[in-house]
Amino acid sequence: MPKRNDLEQKALQYIMNTGFEGVLQSELWRKLGASSREGSRIALKLEEKNLIRRERELRDGRWTYRLYPKRIPSSIDSIADVPCLKCSDNTRCDSSSAISPQNCEKLTEWLLSTAKNESGILGDS
Amino acid sequence: MLSTIDDATLMKVAEALGEEEAVKLIEILKNSDEITDDEIANKTGIRLNNVRKILYKLYDHSLVSLRRTRDPKTGWFIFHWKLHPDQLEGFILSQKRRVMEKLNIRLEYEKNHDFYYCYTPGCKRIPFEEAVELVFKCPTCGKPLVHYDNAKIVQVLSKKIEQLRKELGE
Repeated sequence: MPKRNDLEQKALQYIMNTGFEGVLQSELWRKLGASSREGSRIALKLEEKNLIRRERELRDGRWTYRLYPKRIPSSIDSIADVPCLKCSDNTRCDSSSAISPQNCEKLTEWLLSTAKNESGILGDS
Repeated sequence: MLSTIDDATLMKVAEALGEEEAVKLIEILKNSDEITDDEIANKTGIRLNNVRKILYKLYDHSLVSLRRTRDPKTGWFIFHWKLHPDQLEGFILSQKRRVMEKLNIRLEYEKNHDFYYCYTPGCKRIPFEEAVELVFKCPTCGKPLVHYDNAKIVQVLSKKIEQLRKELGE
């Protein structure tokens, strides 16, 4: 049987990944292979630690809880493709110096390819 | 402590810091409490000087800590490294702020300038003021410069900045 703390970590990770949608308590325990008793105890523990919030919800004539994360997990995805993240010129890059975001070719290339991809998705010409 | 960062994010951060070698190195650090640079080099096959280079980079961002002991036989220092995944969140936030700042500078520049372009691949866009001085002739290929609509660039920048602002809760 997995340790309580492992389950807590797994449950928290799962809840956080559901974002603003949240997850039904009953669904979560099924996914994690835990019993409902164990599950509701962990949900209470996470709520006590201020990591999640629980909201009562009526499902198939039964009252259950929907669990929402208090914080959305930190992810680097939104900046992973921006060239500034890995740029080796970062320390020298400034609006008042020769290397600047204003005329950076790497940034221009990224902007143009992103614009092209987005207009492709939107079906623009 | 319950961490709010998953392994995939940890690996993406490693990649952002130093490509493939940093990913291997963090994988080893993650699975050990404390480890020396020598041991990391032996386990990963990464050259010792590169191991140290990546470790110091991680150290600069407080993602690892080090403890120094002296080898009783040689008298040399031994460095013991430890990963601090709890610092990752702060690292990600500071990187987002840094990137957002750069994008903001670019957005202002794009909004405040009119650009002219010869549409030759490899040539650069020229701001109006410079284009006038060049009599609207590309300094690289010599073709005439015509107006360049940067609306899409402004749109991409605004969208990304808005997304980062939301993620940073600003």
